[in-house]
Amino acid sequence: MPASVCDTGEMTSVKPLLASSTESDVETSVGIVTERPWNVIVWNDPVTPMTVVVVVFRRIFGYSNNKCTQLMLTVHHEGRAVVWSGQRERAEAYCVKLQVSGLQATVEQDA
Amino acid sequence: MAGKLFVRRRDGRVEVRVNDTGRMMLREFFVHVVAGERDGEHEWHVALNAPINPSSDVDDPLSTLARQSDIASNAELSLMTSNAQFLSDAEAWAWLSTLQVALRSTAIVHGILSDEKLETCPPEVLEEIRTMQQFLFDLSACF
Repeated sequence: MPASVCDTGEMTSVKPLLASSTESDVETSVGIVTERPWNVIVWNDPVTPMTVVVVVFRRIFGYSNNKCTQLMLTVHHEGRAVVWSGQRERAEAYCVKLQVSGLQATVEQDA
Repeated sequence: MAGKLFVRRRDGRVEVRVNDTGRMMLREFFVHVVAGERDGEHEWHVALNAPINPSSDVDDPLSTLARQSDIASNAELSLMTSNAQFLSDAEAWAWLSTLQVALRSTAIVHGILSDEKLETCPPEVLEEIRTMQQFLFDLSACF
């Protein structure tokens, strides 16, 4: 059973879940297969105005102005930022929206 | 071009206060994006088709198709409304997206991938980039 991943627009990480069961006096652990989340990455470029990055984040993800500004500054100073994590299909859809808005964006699976 | 180029009105529409020269520039940018998306030989075509998942040899065709159709739709809508004095919210967003796509495509085809490259690029390219940035500054303030 795949573990559910956060799909609320918040950045999350998914850790492997362990379910334990006890049979007689022997405890066994059953590993549950989980899928690592997919990250949407936005990359820095030397021409895009900062205000454009902020309004694109707000429009696409609906984040607060503060969060959009923080993400924009992370992109600016660190060269890239993870702007969303979750299911692959939604990550790709967000990536497409960002590219359509002219930002350099890619998806990658969480390490 | 003095004053704000775009102003959000109380009724929600965006007023375009760009003069004829500015409109001609905007129209040219929009035409290039439409052509770049439709014409595989256009110099912007590669810039418009960056990989979605660089770790994969081939992108999901549905995602690629969605991107192509959305970029083309925005650019076509921008072109159709390039003479309008007032833009709806969706039209103004299409203008912003298309301008931003044009800006990044211009930077990519001229190899401007760093601040240093931007500072040393030919003056006419820098002027074109600064013009697009000015449009984008003012338009983004409406959102």
